[in-house]
Amino acid sequence: MALFLQRLVDGLSSGSVYALIALGLVIIYRGTGHLNFAQGEMALFAAYVVYQMGEWGLPIGIALVIGLATGFVIGAVAEVGLVRPISKKSPFAVFIVTIGLFQLLNWLSGAIWGDQVLPNSGVGSKQQQYPSLFPDQPDDFVKVFGAAIRYQSLGVLLLTLVITGLLFLLFNKTKFGLAMRAVASNAESAKLVGIRVNTVLMVSWGLAAAIGALGGVVFAGINNSVSLGLMFTVFIYGSAAATLGGFDSPGGAVIAGLAIGVIENMAAGYIGFIGQEMKLAVAFIVILVVLMVKPSGLFGTAKVERV
Amino acid sequence: MSLLSVSHLKAGYGPINVLHDVELTVEAGEIVVMLGANGAGKTTTMRAISGMIGRSGEVHFEGADIARATPDAIVRAGIAQVPQGRGTFPELNVEDNLRCGAYIRSDKEIDADIDRWFDVFPRLRERRAQRAGSLSGGEQQMLAIARALMARPKLLLCDEPSLGLAPLITQELFAVIERLNREMGLSVLLVEQNANLAMHMAHRVYLIETGRIVASGSAAELSADDSIRKAYLGF
Repeated sequence: MALFLQRLVDGLSSGSVYALIALGLVIIYRGTGHLNFAQGEMALFAAYVVYQMGEWGLPIGIALVIGLATGFVIGAVAEVGLVRPISKKSPFAVFIVTIGLFQLLNWLSGAIWGDQVLPNSGVGSKQQQYPSLFPDQPDDFVKVFGAAIRYQSLGVLLLTLVITGLLFLLFNKTKFGLAMRAVASNAESAKLVGIRVNTVLMVSWGLAAAIGALGGVVFAGINNSVSLGLMFTVFIYGSAAATLGGFDSPGGAVIAGLAIGVIENMAAGYIGFIGQEMKLAVAFIVILVVLMVKPSGLFGTAKVERV
Repeated sequence: MSLLSVSHLKAGYGPINVLHDVELTVEAGEIVVMLGANGAGKTTTMRAISGMIGRSGEVHFEGADIARATPDAIVRAGIAQVPQGRGTFPELNVEDNLRCGAYIRSDKEIDADIDRWFDVFPRLRERRAQRAGSLSGGEQQMLAIARALMARPKLLLCDEPSLGLAPLITQELFAVIERLNREMGLSVLLVEQNANLAMHMAHRVYLIETGRIVASGSAAELSADDSIRKAYLGF
């Protein structure tokens, strides 16, 4: 029981990070129909920025705000400067451009912060740990049925649920959310009712990158460090979550992200031959089976339109 | 001063020029119908007036120059367009579609207006929580018109509302447009291929051919001219 609970909470905690990355992917996909391959590296860059703020002695709250703002700006600039001009010429080229952006951001992070795992006293880091959003000392946990539930894990899960709730309110209860849904549904008509489509797309990309950035900061916190490869597997899991949830469903992305986190942890823990190396494969087998039965994902909408 | 006056309007897509020299006016309170065959430039004219495509020439609305204005500024100035093929938001429900129509407004009467258009189109009220994509063609066209009217426009542009609809449904729609024109003085510029039905409600008619206006006048004048009737009106 204790072990099960432990694995469940650990799974939900890493699943939260996948969910945040998946949310960013879904917001962009709904807005412009593009898969943002650079989502993970946008988050990586923001995670490095938060580390740097910590080095400069800023409290985590302020560091986080600066990190998320950096994510927002990267996303918005990428949309205005790269995606928009190129998608006019060829929608498919945008995918290639986001791959280029992925490499650019990874290279830029390496050029600024080097290829060491940070913090690292060897390269002069003042911090012992990566700035954590939640209490993360060795004794920061509660015992529940014998399992040690870390505040960090609970905090990460709670944060993800709060972000999901806020996004739901944004989409369904605000005028800007209505505009985002309208642009996603029919951009031409959105222009004809007076929505500034370009502004909506710019903010959508910014918002998506900022949510992804939160995922990056949280994941670096769970890992206690940031390094250039931090987001590679997370991005793969995040895309898998977005696919499994149905690429146009934010709620689906979160549920699928959490589910993938739990499945990989349970499988790695309980099925002997799987272990840490094979758990990626298990998650993908589950996804494959679901998509064979329901191609639009668990919560995605198969497009229905009468003419 | 005309409500809308267009002159020397040129527009097209990329290197291809579709409109060569379109001139037309709409007076306040008028229903003006533009007739033309496929590819004559009707939709392009509508899109050029709404600012959806690059254009040159003069477009004045209530005296203000809108030839270089952005689509959202043109909606705010008081021109709402019902695009060809309805252009509803298929994933949004009927009520949200109407709310989008009121996007430029921030007054407190939006809910009252939604109710008002539900009174005019009772079928929409029955389907207010359904996705627009699940409506029939006629219902979607009603929704598209109601959505445009949610902006409280002074001029309504309608791009081939009869497309793909049964004649009876088209008649019903045109009756509503005539009623709105009579009761609230709504000005309408409507383009159609379907000459018969549209000419009945027109105060004035323009004929467009390969990007140029080739004839204009009242419906009676144009149908009295034998050569025009045979060549363009098909009866």
